[in-house]
Amino acid sequence: MKLEAITGTKKVVTGNHAVSYGVLLSRAQVIAAYPITPQTQIVELLSEFCATGLLKAKFIKVESEHSAMSACVGAAISGVRAFTATSAHGLALMHEMLHWAVGARLPIVVANVNRAMGPGWSVWTDQNDSLSQRDVGMIQLYCESNQEVLDTVIQAFKIGEKVLLPVMVILDAFVLSHTSEPVDIPSQEMVDNFLPPYKPQHYLNIEHPASYGGLTNPDHYFEIRIKIEMAHRAALKVAEEVDKEFQEKFGRGYGLVEPVNCDDAKVIIVTSGTITGTAREVIDKERRKGRKVGLLKIRLFRPTPRERIREILTRAEKIAVIDRNISFGHSGIFAQEIKSILYNEPRRPPIFNFIIGLGGRDVRPEDIEEIIDYVFKKDQPTEDFTLRGVRL
Amino acid sequence: MARNFKEMKEADYPICAISLETTLLNKTGTWRIFRPRYENKLPPCQDACPAGEDIQRYIYLASKRDYEEGYRTILERNPFPAITGRVCFHPCEDACNRKEYDEPIGIHNIERFLGDYGLKNVEKKEKRKKPEEKRRVAIIGSGPAGLACAYYLSREGIGVEVFEKERLPGGLLRTGIPAYRLPKNILDKEIEKLEKNGVKFITNTTFGKDLTLDVLLEKFSAVFLAIGAQKERDLEIPQEEQKGVLEGIAFLRSVNLGKGVHLGKRVLVIGGGNTAVDCARVAKRLGRITTLLYRRTKQEMPASPEEVAEAEKEGVKIEFLIAPVKVLLTRQKTVKGLECLRMKLGAPDSSGRRRPIPIKGSNFTIPADTIIKAIGEVVELESIPAELEKTEWGIKTDIWGNTNKKNILAGGDCVTGPRTVVAAIAAGRRTAEKIRFDLGMKEKLSDEDKREPVRFAQLNTFYFEKQPQVKMPQIEKRGRETFKEINLGYKEEELLTEAGRCFSCGVCNRCDNCYVFCPDLSVKKLEDGYEFDYDYCKGCGICAAECPRSAITMYPEGEI
Repeated sequence: MKLEAITGTKKVVTGNHAVSYGVLLSRAQVIAAYPITPQTQIVELLSEFCATGLLKAKFIKVESEHSAMSACVGAAISGVRAFTATSAHGLALMHEMLHWAVGARLPIVVANVNRAMGPGWSVWTDQNDSLSQRDVGMIQLYCESNQEVLDTVIQAFKIGEKVLLPVMVILDAFVLSHTSEPVDIPSQEMVDNFLPPYKPQHYLNIEHPASYGGLTNPDHYFEIRIKIEMAHRAALKVAEEVDKEFQEKFGRGYGLVEPVNCDDAKVIIVTSGTITGTAREVIDKERRKGRKVGLLKIRLFRPTPRERIREILTRAEKIAVIDRNISFGHSGIFAQEIKSILYNEPRRPPIFNFIIGLGGRDVRPEDIEEIIDYVFKKDQPTEDFTLRGVRL
Repeated sequence: MARNFKEMKEADYPICAISLETTLLNKTGTWRIFRPRYENKLPPCQDACPAGEDIQRYIYLASKRDYEEGYRTILERNPFPAITGRVCFHPCEDACNRKEYDEPIGIHNIERFLGDYGLKNVEKKEKRKKPEEKRRVAIIGSGPAGLACAYYLSREGIGVEVFEKERLPGGLLRTGIPAYRLPKNILDKEIEKLEKNGVKFITNTTFGKDLTLDVLLEKFSAVFLAIGAQKERDLEIPQEEQKGVLEGIAFLRSVNLGKGVHLGKRVLVIGGGNTAVDCARVAKRLGRITTLLYRRTKQEMPASPEEVAEAEKEGVKIEFLIAPVKVLLTRQKTVKGLECLRMKLGAPDSSGRRRPIPIKGSNFTIPADTIIKAIGEVVELESIPAELEKTEWGIKTDIWGNTNKKNILAGGDCVTGPRTVVAAIAAGRRTAEKIRFDLGMKEKLSDEDKREPVRFAQLNTFYFEKQPQVKMPQIEKRGRETFKEINLGYKEEELLTEAGRCFSCGVCNRCDNCYVFCPDLSVKKLEDGYEFDYDYCKGCGICAAECPRSAITMYPEGEI
C-alpha cells in the first residue's frame, strides 16, 4: 500500500474511515485507543496504517479509555501530536483525563462517535455522551457528513495546536460511522501545506526540568483556569480563520455555524449532526411550498459562537431547536444553550424545543415537517419541550 | 517571571500549572502504611533438592553465559554435576513452579551442561591446596556419599584416603549405573578431580576383612563409613537360590565391571524400581528377550517414569499385576520358567499406593531361562562393626552423621537404606562439614534452611510466555543395542533457551519491573540490585504486585 495510491483521490468510505484518513494525513505521532462499537474501525484502519509504515506513529495498545487518554496526555506533554478515538461509555471513562488534557493545555484530538449511553444498552446514536463532557473545556465540533468528518479532523489539529486546547470531533453512530459516502481524500502535500508540524510551546524537556499539573494553591488556580476561558475565546477566531484557510486551500468550508435560508425566515430550526442533512431536504420542500423556513446548523458547539448565533436567530419570528439529547429534569441541551444566548437580547423570539431520536431512533423528513407545522401553528410554546416520535 | 504573585500580571502566568521547583521537597514517604522490602525467598527447586543446590542462581548464570560461575555455584553443594546432571531423578523438577504453567524447567539438563563445561574448561585452572599430613580422614566406600565427603574435605586441604573393595573407585556409580546413563569416562573425570586434590584411593580393600575400625582410628582423625546398601532382597519363593536366578545389583555390577555373566535367551526381571528397569534395559542391550514383571500397575511403579518410558521404547516388555510364586526348574536344575499369580489392586497401603491382592487360582507359567530379582536393596547389616548402634535398616546416626562412637561417622544408603545419588552426596557433604567442625576448621555448623518455598500462586505469571521445555536430544532407536550414552546433552543454544524459561521464583534477577512500575520513582538501581527510597515510597505495593517472582514483600509500617 502506497500513500499516493490511497490519497489525493475520491474514495467511497465510511465516516469512521474518514476519521482514519484525516489522522493519517495529519501525521499524528502517537495513537492510543481502546476499541468500542461504533468507533472500532477508526483505530483498526489506523493500526494498519501504523503497521504498514504508512503512518509513522507509535500505536499504543491500552487496557481502557482512561489509559488511552492518559497515554495521549503523556505523549502530548512530551511535545508530539496525539490522537485517540472513542464513543459513549469509553468517553465517560475518559472523563477525568479529559480534564487533565484541558488543564495541561494539550492539543490532543479525540474523535467521538456519538452513541447513546446505557443502560439500556445501545450502540446507536444520540448526543448525550459528548454533551456530558460539555464543561471539561474541550473544543467540540459536530459533523454532518463523512467529508466534513475528514476535513474537521485536519482542522481540529490546527485549531487545537494554535490555542492549546484538546478538540473533540463528533460524528453520529452508524448514520455516519458505518455509512459509506464519496469522500475527497486530499493529497499529503495539500494537507502538509495546510497543517505544519506541531511545535509545542511547552513540553517535558530534561534540559529544563519542570513539573506539570502539580498542586496549585488558591493564589494561582483561578488565574490559570481563566486562561482556559481566554483560550476558548481565542479559539472562536482561530476556528473561523482555520476554516477560511481550509476553504481557500481545499475548496470546502463549513463555518462555525451554517445558516441556510435564514435571511427572510419566519421560523428557523436549529440542528446539529446528521439531522441537519435531513432538515436541508425538508427546508427546500417547504420553501417550494412557499413557507419561509430557515435552518441553522451548529457545528462548533464549544466555544459557542454566541455573536453569530444571536445575529442570525434574533431575526426570526420563532425558533425551533431540535435536540437528539436530553438533560433529564430540564430539557434539550442545545435549546438551553440557545435560550441562554438570546435571553439578554431586546428581541427574543419564542423558542420551541423538540427532543427526538434518542438511542438511534430514526429522524425522518416527516418528523421535521411535523415540527415545522407545529411551530407555524402556535404562537408560543406551551411546554418546556415537546417529544417527537415517542410512544408514551 | 514575577516571584510575588501579588505583582503578577496576566502575561506572567504560565498557561498551565508548571513548577520549576523540585518536587523532592515533598517527602511522600510519610504517607506510607506498608513498606516494601527486597527479600529473596526459597525457590521450590532448591527446597526439593536433597543437596540444596542453588539452582536458581546457576540457571541465572547459565542464561548470562557465565558457565564457569554456574559450575562453581553447583560445586558449593554438589561436587559432581556431570554425574547428577545425568542420573539424578530430579525432585527439583517435580517441585518446579513452572510445571503449573506449562512444563517444568529441564534442570538436570542444565546441570549436566554446566557439569560437562566444568570438567572440560574449569577444572584445569583450579588452584589446589596441598593435602595436610597432620589431619587425615579415612572414608570407607567410594560411592557418591564417600566421594562427596572426600571432595569437601580435600578441597580444604585435609588429607583423605578412600577405601574401596572393587578394583576401581565409584561404588554404585560404577557398578550399579549402566554406561548408557552414565558413561565411565565421565565418572573417571569426576573422580580425577579428587585425585588432583590429593585424595588417595586404596582399592581392592574390603572393610571388615582387610580393615578394621580400631586400626583406622589409630591412623586417622576421623572415619566416614559410606558402604551403601547393596544386598538384594529375596523374593521369598521356592527355588530362588538356583544358579539361573540372579540378584539385580550383582548382575549390574558384573556387566558394569566387564565380568562375565551367564544370561539365558529369555530373561525375566522382577521388580518395579530403578534397579529393575536398569536390569531390564541392560539385558535387552545384551540381546535377550526381556520381560519386566511388576505386581502393581505402572502408576505405582517407584522407578522414574522417564526410565520406564525409555525401557518400553527399547523393547522391554512390561507386565503388570503379576507376582512370582515359584521358580520352575528342569531336571538338570536349570531355570525353565516362573510360576506366577495374577494380582488386583486393593485399598492403599502405608506407602499410599494401592496394595496388590492375589487373585486365587490365577496361577500361570511364564517360560524363562534367567530370572533377575530386583525388588529392592538392603544394607548388609552383618558387615557393620558390632560396636556401632544400628537401626532396622542401617547404621544409627544423628543428622550430622555421628555414630555412637567418637570420630566415626556414617552416611548415605548405609544409614538411610537405599535412596538416591543426590541424597548420598548431600550426606557426604554434611559429614564433611561436621568433620571440619570437629577438627576445629569451622566455627559453626550451618543452620537448616527453614524458609517456606515460593509457591506458584505467589508469582505474577503475566510476564511469562508459554513455552515448552527444550527436550533433551537423544540417540535414535538404532544405537540402543549398545551401551552408548543415550542423552546427548544440550547444545549451547538449547541451554540458553531452557535457562531463559526459569521463573527465578523468589529471587530477584534484576528484570526491572519494580523500577519501571514504581509511580513514585522510588526504586533506585544499584550495581547488583535495587533499593527503595523510603523518603518518597508511598507503600502502594505496585512493585510487589508486578514482581513476577515474589522477591518483594510488603510489611505493615513499623513491623520491620
